[in-house]
Amino acid sequence: MSVYAFYIFDRHTECIYSKHWTNQQPTNGAIPAAALTSAAATRKANQAADNAKLIFGTVFSLRRMVRQLGGQDDLFLAYRTGEYKLHYYETATQLKLVMLTDTRVGNLRTVLHQIWATLYVEYVVKSPLSPIEHPKGVGVANELFEGGLESFIVG
Amino acid sequence: MQGSDVKVVFALLIINKAGGLIYNRTFAPGLQKLDSNDYLILAGTFHGIHAISRSINPAPASPPPLPGHRKTPTTGIESVESSHFRMTCFQTSTGVKFLLFTSPEQPNTDTVVRRCYEIYGDYVIKNPFYSMEMPIRVEKFDRALGGYLVRP
Amino acid sequence: MPDLNPAQEPPLPSKDTTSIPLPPPKQFVPSLRYPSNRKSIYDRNLNRTKTSDISLASFAYLFNALITYHHAQSGSVSEIENRLNRAGYPIGIKLLDLLLYRQVAAQSSSSRNTAARPTRMIDLLQFIQGTLWRALFNRPADALEQSTTKKNEYMIIDNEPVVNTFISIPKEMSQLNCAAFVAGIIEGVCDAAGFSTDGVSAHWAGEGDEMWPGKTIYLLRFRESVIEREEALKAGG
Repeated sequence: MSVYAFYIFDRHTECIYSKHWTNQQPTNGAIPAAALTSAAATRKANQAADNAKLIFGTVFSLRRMVRQLGGQDDLFLAYRTGEYKLHYYETATQLKLVMLTDTRVGNLRTVLHQIWATLYVEYVVKSPLSPIEHPKGVGVANELFEGGLESFIVG
Repeated sequence: MQGSDVKVVFALLIINKAGGLIYNRTFAPGLQKLDSNDYLILAGTFHGIHAISRSINPAPASPPPLPGHRKTPTTGIESVESSHFRMTCFQTSTGVKFLLFTSPEQPNTDTVVRRCYEIYGDYVIKNPFYSMEMPIRVEKFDRALGGYLVRP
Repeated sequence: MPDLNPAQEPPLPSKDTTSIPLPPPKQFVPSLRYPSNRKSIYDRNLNRTKTSDISLASFAYLFNALITYHHAQSGSVSEIENRLNRAGYPIGIKLLDLLLYRQVAAQSSSSRNTAARPTRMIDLLQFIQGTLWRALFNRPADALEQSTTKKNEYMIIDNEPVVNTFISIPKEMSQLNCAAFVAGIIEGVCDAAGFSTDGVSAHWAGEGDEMWPGKTIYLLRFRESVIEREEALKAGG
């Protein structure tokens, strides 16, 4: 199983956390600054932000479509293309966790629930320094959460 | 038989290459009833999502194709799972999308949706009175689909 | 007087004819296209029927194009049927010859070159129901009946015409039966065999029939003269 990316969206539809893995090498904002000119870095950041918006839009529409067809208690779980699979989990507080993996992966709902319960709640919600809302992702990407997620995914 | 009760094909939607809904038929109860306008919106929305899902492909680029071979195109959404149903999407090489709604337990949905495509190829495309891209009102197509998907 | 006034004719500038040579005549290019083994349809044995099956899909697309064309050209249901009938007619004329030729070839012991064409009404009808249907659709027609009211009318019944396999008629022209094409073939066979008709037409008969919703009746209306001849033959024989 390979994990490509992980996103968290808050209830204001804002992407408050994202992380990408390519060939199991984390590249989370840790792009060597020397290797990129500032213009290229900006472009790259914009592209990443656009990507997050597209993913949110897709998930949002599918979630609505699923509710429309399956009823109010129906939950959107995942979609699969020929190249990747997107898993989705929404908490009671409308926090949305999205994970992109390869296509051979089964149901990751419990995994996403675990990430939320054991990492997000423990290290972000319970952190005394963390604000209640996280505009622009403030306070999510702290050391404990990052480290926990890293060891959880890479193993 | 508990096993055969949960394997159900709920509905089939066909979307033309411009995102318009051209066929919509329910085979078994299980999905919410929508009015025809909502189905049209749903088809258009899915058409858009399908296109977006191709552009947000995070998988590492596949090795460049051998000379003389075309790069295999990305497929877009092939299936959507929810807690109540599964939707299998099959896009033909001409851009027509077949959306098959089944219960999550239904096996071999790929085969089922391809068979629907074959029936479409026979009774819709080979029918001289059907104009392409237009809503499908073809008697034999209805009958053949019913014979295949409606369980007696 | 051949040399009456040669000056009246403007003399051809001899300079030009010599300086501009005529282009070499174009080489004759036959429009017949040969497959890679250089064998055209004319090299094939007329008797070979075993491998002459064609794919139903290819036929369906060709028939589709034919119907679409005639549909676009005509204003009414009867005109479409008329045009389809006329498209089938020449096929029938040729098929009578070909099938009779093959019939003899199948019985190779026969010394005759060709089977005689059917000369009696019942022979002709059986030829159509059996031989013609088998050659076209690989099975005989489902029934052959004589009209109870008119003695010049005969009916050939096909429960599921192959030509209609993929065709659904829209509601606004529900009378149209594209098997009119086959009716044209039948008309061609009848005419070529010397049984002139007042037309052969295809009609739907499957309404309310659960088993065969596409049942089609071909109605053959022979001319009075043909019936009179038939009765004279009957009396004589």
